[in-house]
Amino acid sequence: MIICDGLTKRFGSITAIQDFSVEIPDGRIFGLLGPNGAGKTTTMRMLSCLIQPTSGKAMIDEYDIRHKEDAQRIRQMIGLLPEVPGLYETLGAYKNLDYYAQLFGIPKQKREQAIKKTLTNLELWDRRAEPVGGFSKGMKQKIAIARALVHDPKYIFLDEPTASLDPAASKIVRDYILQLKAQGDTIFINTHNLSEAERICDTVALVKNRVVRIGNPKELARGLFARTVSFTLDHVPATLLQEISSLEIASEARISGSQLIVNVRRPEEDNPLIITWLVNHKVSVQFVTEEEHSLEDVYLKLIEGGGH
Amino acid sequence: MRWRNAWIIMRKDLDEFKKQKLVIGSIIAMPIVLGVIMPLAIFVPLVSTTTATTVWDVPGLLETGSLPGNQSVLWTNQTLSDVSLSSKIIKHTVISHAHLSNCLVISCIINNSTVDHSTIEESNLTQTYLSNTTVTYSKGTGLDGSNILAVQSSLFFTKTKPSALSVVLPMMFNLILMIFIVVPATLPTIIATYSIVGEKNNRSLEPLLATPTTDGELLAGKIFSSFIPSMGSTYLAFVLGVGLLDVVLIPHVGYPPLPNVIWILAILLIAPAACLMSVLACVLVSSKVSDVRAAQQLGGFVVMPVVVLMLGVLSGLLLLSPFTVIVFAFIYSGIDLGLFYFARAVFNRESILTKWT
Repeated sequence: MIICDGLTKRFGSITAIQDFSVEIPDGRIFGLLGPNGAGKTTTMRMLSCLIQPTSGKAMIDEYDIRHKEDAQRIRQMIGLLPEVPGLYETLGAYKNLDYYAQLFGIPKQKREQAIKKTLTNLELWDRRAEPVGGFSKGMKQKIAIARALVHDPKYIFLDEPTASLDPAASKIVRDYILQLKAQGDTIFINTHNLSEAERICDTVALVKNRVVRIGNPKELARGLFARTVSFTLDHVPATLLQEISSLEIASEARISGSQLIVNVRRPEEDNPLIITWLVNHKVSVQFVTEEEHSLEDVYLKLIEGGGH
Repeated sequence: MRWRNAWIIMRKDLDEFKKQKLVIGSIIAMPIVLGVIMPLAIFVPLVSTTTATTVWDVPGLLETGSLPGNQSVLWTNQTLSDVSLSSKIIKHTVISHAHLSNCLVISCIINNSTVDHSTIEESNLTQTYLSNTTVTYSKGTGLDGSNILAVQSSLFFTKTKPSALSVVLPMMFNLILMIFIVVPATLPTIIATYSIVGEKNNRSLEPLLATPTTDGELLAGKIFSSFIPSMGSTYLAFVLGVGLLDVVLIPHVGYPPLPNVIWILAILLIAPAACLMSVLACVLVSSKVSDVRAAQQLGGFVVMPVVVLMLGVLSGLLLLSPFTVIVFAFIYSGIDLGLFYFARAVFNRESILTKWT
């Protein structure tokens, strides 16, 4: 389990992240979303014991990131994908991974198996001997992901894991992340890719140098936006909008073409009432659909809109 | 400290290093040029000019000419003993316990005598004192004297001041020995200054620092990976240089003069200590700057302690002896130890990762 309590990091007069508090249970995927400079990488670096917090604390299992001895133990059980792959370009993919696996003390035979498994999962095994300097950005990113995973860490920190990847490669990585979750690993992701976060994260935190909102992606949208239901009608009588607005549950209705759009609080209870009212007024309902608000809508409203 | 981790880091660095053929070439070439080719370029003309016809204030012990093939020393059975002769021409005579002055001595055997202001040709001399005398086409052993002009002669002296070559040799040996100390201190500056800041600029330092590797292990690995190629190429040049210099010098001195005790001690103690000092200082610099060029510029200063030693030796202020070599090796090793602990103490992961100015 990862527990952050008031984690704060300042660089001189600049506050990178302030009062970051979160609990991430084991086996979950946690996403950190925010614009550039919001403190995402700094937070990940603190949790990876690369930099020390200015104040606050964080525990990974029973180890405190602020203590030097604990930091050694934490590093042993984490895998980090930094925002830039940072590979040794003259060496092959295999040697790059082998180097890190050795530093994590993995025995030779197990090392070979682990490297083969990760490179095969990321479809790079056939090119393991080629110097990675000649690889595309996406391939380098995949090797960097493999490097973070080669020692089978319990906690995985991924900074923009699908950046530079094409859609097919992104899917491979996403599926791999879900596979890691399924085997019980805890994954902490920094990302700008909101649809990806929405698809794979159990919990997301929107940050802009401090936590703006935290929760399940869908719950965040529901909490932030009223639920909007569209009723597609066979015809729209001229007085419909005026008459239906008298209903308390449909006070914020509008007409768009053949659609009656209503903001409702409890669709499960309100939709049947509206449909009954329409039928009673000789208007047939062809379709009923609920508009979904995406994480992107949440992000844009909270981060770009400056709302809290 | 887990030395295994340092070893892993070193092996990875050497793996990367092996791919840089031009860098390897320069690391091998520099000691070869300075420690092998340059000394040979100095010694070959030096020994060849010193063994030609030479006027000695007191002739050199090391002179080993040979008579031309068709010349020989002739003598008769006539004997002169316990005499003092002046302004005579003496031929084909065995002379012993004599004093010859202003004489022309041709094809004689001269033992236990004194010869001054004379000319000796085609003769054989033993245990004789020569003064202001010209000797041509002759052999001599156990000689002594002053102001002798030897022409195509093979004269060996038992009690003399050193010859020009024997005066020059130790000085030249010291100069070349300094090369074998300065070179290993200079060679690693490029590799070592790149070690940390290069990884930082390559962005490979962050994942490396996220492994369980400690600061000490990381530094030790980086130090070894700069130290080993530098000392390896220095030792290669040393073996080649010593071998070839011996080949050049043996005909003139009669024995292999290198490596002497000072050279052996220096190459085994001072050279590695100087190399390590340079590596440590460069790795320290590399961990404190954010740009490779700045690291390399600053790295140039780290050879200063070695240059001090070199200047001391070359200026004659410092006499190299086994004792001084051991003392310097101790001083350098102490500096090395201090530098390692200092580098480890000031190694700051956060600052390395986050400071870019």
